[in-house]
Amino acid sequence: MSELSSTTGNLEVPYTPPPATPHLAPREWVRANLFSTPFNSVLTVMSALILATIGRGLLSFLFNPIRQWDATATNLRLLMTQAYPEEQYLRVWVCTAVILILTGLSLAVWRAGSHVPVTKVGRNLLATGAVVALMTLLAPFSASATVQWLVAAAVVAGAGETLRRGVGMRASASGAGGSDESGDQVATISTLTLIAIALGGLVASLWVVPYGHHSYLMDRTPRVLAEPGTVAMTTKLPWTIMLLIVVAATFLGRSMRDRLPTNATRATLLVAWLLAPPTLLYLVLRDPSFDMGHVLGTDLPIFGAYAIGGGLLLSWLTRPTTGEIGRIVAAVVLVVGFCTFLTPMRMIVRIDMLMLASFALAAPTFAGGPRARRRYVTGWLGVLGVSSWLITAINTPSTVDVPGDFFIGGLSLTFIVAVFTIVVSFPLGILLALARTSTMPIFRLLATWFIEFVRGVPLITILIFFSIMVPLFLPRGMELGEVAAVVIGYALFSSAYLAENVRGGLQSVTRGQHEAAEAVGMTTGQKTVFIVLPQALRVSIPPLVGHCIGVFKETSLLAIIGLFDVLYIARVVMPNQTEFMGSTRENVLFVSLIYWIFAYQMSKASMRLERRTGLGER
Amino acid sequence: MTENPTEANPLDPVADAPADAPTGAARDLSGARDVIVCEDVSKWYGDFQALDRVSATIREQEVVVVLGPSGSGKSTWIRCINRLEIHQEGRIVVDDVELTNDLRNIEKVRSEVGMVFQQFNLFPHLTILDNVTLAPIWVRKKPRAEAEEQAMALLERVGIPEQAAKYPGQLSGGQQQRVAIARALAMEPRIMLFDEPTSALDPEMIKEVLDVMKTLAHSGMTMMVVTHEMGFAKEVADRLIFMEGGQIVEQNTPEAFFSNPTEERTKLFLSQIL
Amino acid sequence: MTSPTDTSGTQPSDTHAAVSARVPLWRDVVVLKWVTQVFLLVVVLGAMWFLASQAGDNLRARNINTEFDFIERPVDIQLGEGIDTHPDTGGRALWTGMVNTLRLSLAGIIFATALGVVVGLARLSDNWLVRQLGSLWVETLRNIPLLVQMVFYFSILTTLPRVGLDTGPINGWLHISNKGISMPRVFIADGFYQWLVVVLIGAAVGRYVHRRRSRIHDETGADTSPVLWALGTVAAFGVVGLFVHPAFSWLGGVFGAVAGVLDALPLVVPQILLCGVALGVTATWILRFLAAHRSARGHLSLTDDDWFRVLFAAAASLAVVYLMVRWTGLSSWILNSGRDLFEVIEAKFDVDGAARPFDAMRPDIVQKGKFPNYGTNGLTMTLGFAAVFFAVVFYTSAFIGENVRGGILAVPKGQTEAALAVGLTRGQVLRRVVLPQAFRVILPPTGNQYLNLTKNTSLAVAVGFSEIVQVGTTVFNQTGRTLPVVAIWMLFYLSCSLTISVIVNWFNVRMKLVER
Repeated sequence: MSELSSTTGNLEVPYTPPPATPHLAPREWVRANLFSTPFNSVLTVMSALILATIGRGLLSFLFNPIRQWDATATNLRLLMTQAYPEEQYLRVWVCTAVILILTGLSLAVWRAGSHVPVTKVGRNLLATGAVVALMTLLAPFSASATVQWLVAAAVVAGAGETLRRGVGMRASASGAGGSDESGDQVATISTLTLIAIALGGLVASLWVVPYGHHSYLMDRTPRVLAEPGTVAMTTKLPWTIMLLIVVAATFLGRSMRDRLPTNATRATLLVAWLLAPPTLLYLVLRDPSFDMGHVLGTDLPIFGAYAIGGGLLLSWLTRPTTGEIGRIVAAVVLVVGFCTFLTPMRMIVRIDMLMLASFALAAPTFAGGPRARRRYVTGWLGVLGVSSWLITAINTPSTVDVPGDFFIGGLSLTFIVAVFTIVVSFPLGILLALARTSTMPIFRLLATWFIEFVRGVPLITILIFFSIMVPLFLPRGMELGEVAAVVIGYALFSSAYLAENVRGGLQSVTRGQHEAAEAVGMTTGQKTVFIVLPQALRVSIPPLVGHCIGVFKETSLLAIIGLFDVLYIARVVMPNQTEFMGSTRENVLFVSLIYWIFAYQMSKASMRLERRTGLGER
Repeated sequence: MTENPTEANPLDPVADAPADAPTGAARDLSGARDVIVCEDVSKWYGDFQALDRVSATIREQEVVVVLGPSGSGKSTWIRCINRLEIHQEGRIVVDDVELTNDLRNIEKVRSEVGMVFQQFNLFPHLTILDNVTLAPIWVRKKPRAEAEEQAMALLERVGIPEQAAKYPGQLSGGQQQRVAIARALAMEPRIMLFDEPTSALDPEMIKEVLDVMKTLAHSGMTMMVVTHEMGFAKEVADRLIFMEGGQIVEQNTPEAFFSNPTEERTKLFLSQIL
Repeated sequence: MTSPTDTSGTQPSDTHAAVSARVPLWRDVVVLKWVTQVFLLVVVLGAMWFLASQAGDNLRARNINTEFDFIERPVDIQLGEGIDTHPDTGGRALWTGMVNTLRLSLAGIIFATALGVVVGLARLSDNWLVRQLGSLWVETLRNIPLLVQMVFYFSILTTLPRVGLDTGPINGWLHISNKGISMPRVFIADGFYQWLVVVLIGAAVGRYVHRRRSRIHDETGADTSPVLWALGTVAAFGVVGLFVHPAFSWLGGVFGAVAGVLDALPLVVPQILLCGVALGVTATWILRFLAAHRSARGHLSLTDDDWFRVLFAAAASLAVVYLMVRWTGLSSWILNSGRDLFEVIEAKFDVDGAARPFDAMRPDIVQKGKFPNYGTNGLTMTLGFAAVFFAVVFYTSAFIGENVRGGILAVPKGQTEAALAVGLTRGQVLRRVVLPQAFRVILPPTGNQYLNLTKNTSLAVAVGFSEIVQVGTTVFNQTGRTLPVVAIWMLFYLSCSLTISVIVNWFNVRMKLVER
């Protein structure tokens, strides 16, 4: 092993290999890792002291009786969805269920998760127990509480030890004869199963453990209800159903994976994921009362005209024999599209025209036989249908009525803004990156200026600018909600950073790849779509995931411009409730925990992905 | 070197004499059509002149091997024929199409001329089969089934049909280069260009690639090969072109070239490598 | 393109038939390329014009003014801290905000770097516990949004005990309270600028000493430690300067004379000078560029891109000339600010001969429950400053720590082994082999972190620290000049970013040169 790593020294993995641990007896391990030199001993003692101080400080903060954790418990719904009307809450649960179904299916279809040895699970449980016990001793608990916590720690540690011993013994017994092959026989457990067990335990505890029943009673005089007992039915029942749904979806996905063609399933799921955000947002926010006369009289004919006219045009443009005339026609459509966009017409006409122009411009790239052409026209019809429906729906008055500028706030707003920002900035970022690496000087100049400008200013100035100034830049009669304006600004900001990540990937595609693509006669468009982008995007997956985490974290800036995101509610709304004056610290700590869980999980997942794709390529 | 390059000398002795009557040619190509015509092609990289009034004609079914020390402009020339590099003076006509800024001409020439690179340049994110079928499907607009059938036939021909589902990274260098040849052949080119196809290979893999190229040459493909493989040149070439300093120094049949070089520089070169 | 007579013996007439026809415009690659670009340019400019005209209409309709007059106009703003807590004009208020931002960023960069290095080394330590502590730090802090951390620290700080005359961990030296953190400070006094002259002379001498010691080392091989000597020289000058600095008070007269000359110069002089410089620089650049693309025989090979560069450079210089000629305000502004600058410097030298370069003060609570304003007494970190400072330093240190760790891991193990094999000690290996290589890897991403840190200080608006965004928000709320204030913000941050990237790039280039 050491010889290997010295010859391939520059490929050294920063992960210390585990075999070192089990071979040493605990005492030797402590000596080697903690007290090898006097200096090391001093460091150990100092770090132990620091850890103990932090731990004790945190614990005495958390378990101090004057802490107002009631504030968090009572306001959980506020933190999640702000003032979403209770009688409409079913919509929120349906959305959650849809997302969970998609998650479950995707987990199975993409074969997420890995198998870990049961002994490792046991070791981790043992360590958790030990940490809990240590913390209990540090914490300023009453005697009875200390005993309770210690018992809990002992139970966890005991379970871990049983797993470790029991399974480990069996493995070693069976592995004794098979020498080195024992690795294959080590009992493993899927991480998905582990997560399901953990979540199941959590949900079950909602039914059993008396966390307390908290809520606002909206009587004539609103008051806080905080009584002991188990969690309210409106909380525990939906979550139980959600858990069952996601588990069922995973099993369904598993059977789908074995029966259906993988690529088609994955493509369908991807499209579903892409369609989910606008559709679900729409489902949560609106209950449209369609004006059927208007829909049938105006929107449907417009859709029909574009579907037929655009379909015919595209099917002609994708004919291999069309040649340059097709390009000229596409350019004309683009010019017409821009002209219509500047004229005061129905929005649906203007947007559809621009979409048709972009489809027409891309047509030569995807030109081909009848099947390819049919697929391209179908794609056009799909995109046209979805966007027409959305435009029609958005222009229809809603019947869900909630106070405030935006119908939903809290953590939901955080997610909505993050998801829409990423979805919008992704194509924009790729275009910017392509422009910046292009051989065309004006494209490059514009892209470079835009990217460097955006990267030079802080996000908050852009958000303030968009939230205040966007209404001023719009033509009269056109309106844009503040959230939409902020998402546009945020997406522009994010696209500049995304473009730099993609550019790194683009530059990693060697010159030879470009030449080979050119040598087989591909056009620039085909070269970019089929050769360069797939390779570039694959390389830039790790920085892109990092970027997505950053976008998610920085949605907290919405609080500064006064949108009701989770931080704003925790920091401004809740401490102003008469019952919970001055509860800022508790609330913000809770919000940090939420952010931390999501960001940490995402970064771990990206590291796993990186390792997996890294291995796949070799 | 000192004269004005814009006044092309139509009677340049280097370009003129030998091409048409290959005295010791193994095959008689005198009735064949000219498929590549280069006239006074010059190219500069900044101050450095990479090609200096290169003129040559290559006929249908002819196999031409370009020799010369490194930096002599062989690769630049062969890349100009595919317009991967843009020549600055002179004319290049490939298969009746002159290489200009005309989009249609460039597309046409590139789909008529296959190219094999020194570094293979397979697309690492696609399987072997996809590498071969990509251009037929999207450039030639063939139905996928037909393209795959043809690709399998080609992989059979270069001897690695069993690797079709693998990725380039899983193949040896020799296998990768054979896939690259199959990829170029999938476009059914009239002309094949080889830019040092064996230079990046281990010695034991060179033979398998050269064997494929020999078969191709015997099947009547027009080929232009930049290589250092003298054995291949002797055995397969109809004509050898020796370049140095961006100029064509000498061109002749293999027998005449190796046994009786006329130019001093050729003699020097041969003495160094043989 | 000439169509030369055929050269080869056979005359394949069909080969030449297709040739000499002109390329139709819609198929010419070059034409297509430029048409696309110009079209995009027109679209972008058109969109900008459209939006601007809409904005103009809307602003007029709502009676919103977009002038920069607020910079000169009096405002009624009170700032929490800074060089001027009651600024007379909007411009002065924004200037105070800028200084606060810079102060915060600089302090943040220094402390985040120090802490980041510690964290990075901790994660590489042999000691298991230290390693875990480092991971805990990084994984916790970088996964919680900076703003959330900032708000949390702020809410903790506000619950600190009330300030009193005898509170604080060390009375009279260190007070930590709900009004901030206060400690003694050393500050620049009137004699500082004279002392600075002494130190500058010391730096020049130190440079000479460094060169001399290096030469001795090169010639004799003796261990001369030139860096130590140079630093020692500068330090010696610094110490001596504390006593002899009044000797340089005459320099004030020199600066005053320069200011007088600048005041007397007519407007045409800077105009001509700057136009000349712009044209001269561009002309030289273009000539050199063309020369670089010309072959020995005078053959000029330019790509579209090169043409574009030449045209762009020419257009830019002409634009500068036009601006200078049309807008005399610019040259008078240059003259005036030059004069003002020298007058300010002159004033700095115009002090009592006995003035000390430095002074020190302890925190002193002059009023019950209240610290005096910033700068008049001890060094006081207000709550806002402290919250932003800790948040920014902790958050950035996690990222810098990862950079440091990655940089050191990026040095191949073979390097260490080779260095040990030739007999260097562990310390020498670290100092001469590992760190120089790691530094090259660490620097670029760390420079990026410095940029981020500077931009992140803008979040301080959430805790009411008077940096530029917070001050700007107050200013536009009061005057209604949103657009100009946003423009000033962006300009300010752009120049900060530019400065930092120039410095980092300069180091990068130096590193690369050192490598060869």
